[in-house]
Amino acid sequence: MRRAVGTVVAAVALLTASPPVRLSGQDSQFGIRGLGTPGRWESVRSRSTGGAFGPFDPLSPLMEAPLADIGQLTATAAGGTSHRDVQEGGATTALRTTRFPLMGVAGPLTRRLAVAAGFTTYLDKSWDVTFRDSFMLRGVLQRYTDEIASDGSVADVRLAAASRLSRRIAIGVGLHVLAGSTRMTAERRFDDSTFHTVRQSAEVRYDGLGVSGSVLIGVAPGLTIAGWARSDNRLRAKVVDTASAVTDLPTMAGGGLLFAPSPSVRFAASAAWRSWSRAGAGAFDTWTWSAGAEFGSRRMPIRLGARRGQMPFGPGTEAPTETAASLGTARAFAQGRALIDLGVERLERRGGGLTERVWTVLVGLTVRP
Amino acid sequence: MTRRRLALVGAVLLVAACVERLTAPGHCPGDFCPSGQITVVDTLLTSNISRDSSYRGYVLAYQSALMLAAHLPGATDTLDGRPIFRINGFGARFRISTVDTSTGAILGADSARLQLYVLRRDTATHNLQLQLYRLPITIDTSTTFGSLAAPFTDSLVRTVNVDTLLAQPGRKDTVTGDSVVVDTVNHRLVLSLKLDTAAARYVGTDSGSVAYGIRIAADTLASIAFGKGTFGPVLQWYLRVDSLGTPVARAPGVLGAALASFVFAPSPAPIDSTLAVGGVPSARSLLRVTFPKVIRDSSQIIRATLFLVPAVPARGAPADSLVIEARTVFADFGGKSPIDLRLGDTTVIHIGSTDTVQIEVTNLLQLWAADSTHPTVLVLRPENEAQFLGEIRFYPSVAAAFRPTLQVTFVRRFPFGVP
Repeated sequence: MRRAVGTVVAAVALLTASPPVRLSGQDSQFGIRGLGTPGRWESVRSRSTGGAFGPFDPLSPLMEAPLADIGQLTATAAGGTSHRDVQEGGATTALRTTRFPLMGVAGPLTRRLAVAAGFTTYLDKSWDVTFRDSFMLRGVLQRYTDEIASDGSVADVRLAAASRLSRRIAIGVGLHVLAGSTRMTAERRFDDSTFHTVRQSAEVRYDGLGVSGSVLIGVAPGLTIAGWARSDNRLRAKVVDTASAVTDLPTMAGGGLLFAPSPSVRFAASAAWRSWSRAGAGAFDTWTWSAGAEFGSRRMPIRLGARRGQMPFGPGTEAPTETAASLGTARAFAQGRALIDLGVERLERRGGGLTERVWTVLVGLTVRP
Repeated sequence: MTRRRLALVGAVLLVAACVERLTAPGHCPGDFCPSGQITVVDTLLTSNISRDSSYRGYVLAYQSALMLAAHLPGATDTLDGRPIFRINGFGARFRISTVDTSTGAILGADSARLQLYVLRRDTATHNLQLQLYRLPITIDTSTTFGSLAAPFTDSLVRTVNVDTLLAQPGRKDTVTGDSVVVDTVNHRLVLSLKLDTAAARYVGTDSGSVAYGIRIAADTLASIAFGKGTFGPVLQWYLRVDSLGTPVARAPGVLGAALASFVFAPSPAPIDSTLAVGGVPSARSLLRVTFPKVIRDSSQIIRATLFLVPAVPARGAPADSLVIEARTVFADFGGKSPIDLRLGDTTVIHIGSTDTVQIEVTNLLQLWAADSTHPTVLVLRPENEAQFLGEIRFYPSVAAAFRPTLQVTFVRRFPFGVP
């Protein structure tokens, strides 16, 4: 137990330590004109495999059914530090962010029923943009600098339950409460100081609801398939108790395949579809797919994966694309009671003449006391 | 054991709950900017100022911080300002010694020295002359220019040429005993004039009170201001006092002016339908503004400008530009409205000018927008009331073509929360 506590302390230090240059995990320029940047409902383990293991990972909040095999009380949290280069029209801007996008606790309630609670990022809405422009005002060309910023996110608070119906079949359901807020500011500074600086701010609160269901089927020894579906109703934005916008949220569905030819070799692939076009103009339905592998014992595996997909918001008539490759490992301590996951991801997003390249370092901590 | 497990889980959750968010400002390429934009609206409120009126009499000549002297011939009349002041004396008797209380009759004055502060002058004025007149000691706050016509004609006691005095070595005239000190830091002249027995007559039956008036003259632009109070006229008597039949000299402490004011002609024109600002006694104008609800409730004012069209050229001494200010009031009681001194905006009026006057009143309108209980009334008044002879008159709201207008630039509420 003492060793477990020491490991947790070390992991906590890793999670909270920030590198000298901090930056953006899931923020994206593509989310500014739209609802935001959708979160990745994956643990560090899943993300290190490109997301391919997401449907089979009980600590990833994508599916509920894998919770049926959780076995014991488990808590997990993840953090990510990203460095993002935004390239547009020959100019490159470097951006940085640190995020803690995932937290959850799960455990068996009875022999056949497991439950989980936690949150993950549903939409990231943190950005800060500045631009210069000019317009005619009182007969004179007035130059100004605008800075519009949003700081906050919409979290997906999930309550999930899962049960293994038989040796081959497990099912799960989840209730999702979407809640969050952003602190938004809009500022305009005129070069001509006769015009006072414009500074407005508001706290925007968001709410919504969703339900999900999933199934895990053991087709054959070492071969498992997964399927999931989720429906969210709408995202309501309120400013000072007045609804400023109500946006329909997508219906989603996906599936995956896990092949484990031996205890130390696991392959997985997954795909998902999301009807983001319901969110209105400038939004697109998206497809994503991923493939990954995990080698070695669970105490210290090697993980790798790749994924490709579309971003839901962007200019023009085609959805921006997203391509990523990832690599990771883990280290178990204290007889497997504590686990530190490490991962690194290289991501590229393209669309509308803009390219984003992101390096993300991921750290996850899992404790099974 | 279970408790320890829960504590461990709690520790992990606590760490994860410390969410840190950092974003660095980035540029905003065209198609990737936020959909909401800052919307600026510029509007001219041509008919929102009404029920405007003028009032005179806020600060009278004797209440002014300065004594104004001017002699400015005009096309039809001459602007003539004359400082007047009275200095009360010691009475008919004076203490002989500081060690006992015995007094002796004041026999008269050998001489006196009068000190005057010139607080404002135009350095372009040449050959500036001061003419000191003896006035009746009965002058008071109601004394008029006309009532002093006779003494200002026949009671000249001294003439001093300031420019000549300034040109003297050491700025001292060894013949007359006059001197001048130039305070370059505060831009003041301190004149010290020696008055002989004839000029400084100590009349015991008048309690030693004396009154003087000053006229000025110059080649051009004869307009200056003398100080009052701390910087007011000061008289040092050199007395002869009877001490058991023997006259002895005594130099008592200096005396300040008991009354300091000025008279001038021509008198200001009566208040009419125009909006008068300035002059002596000072005039103010009230403008009542109908503040549009759309601006008050849902916008941020970034600039507001009040436009006023002069009905006549601004009057006054050409060298003395008039600064007028716009303020708002705590309550609208017409001419007696208490002025809110927290915020104010000013502009300079050049004498003789008929150009449209602009006053930036952004902060006043921002105050109205922030406090809906604040009366939406503008007061126009001189920044330093009754310290300049200048006055300007603007067209009122009833003059449709030239009425006061407000140009307001504001920003609508940003569409927060709209994707």
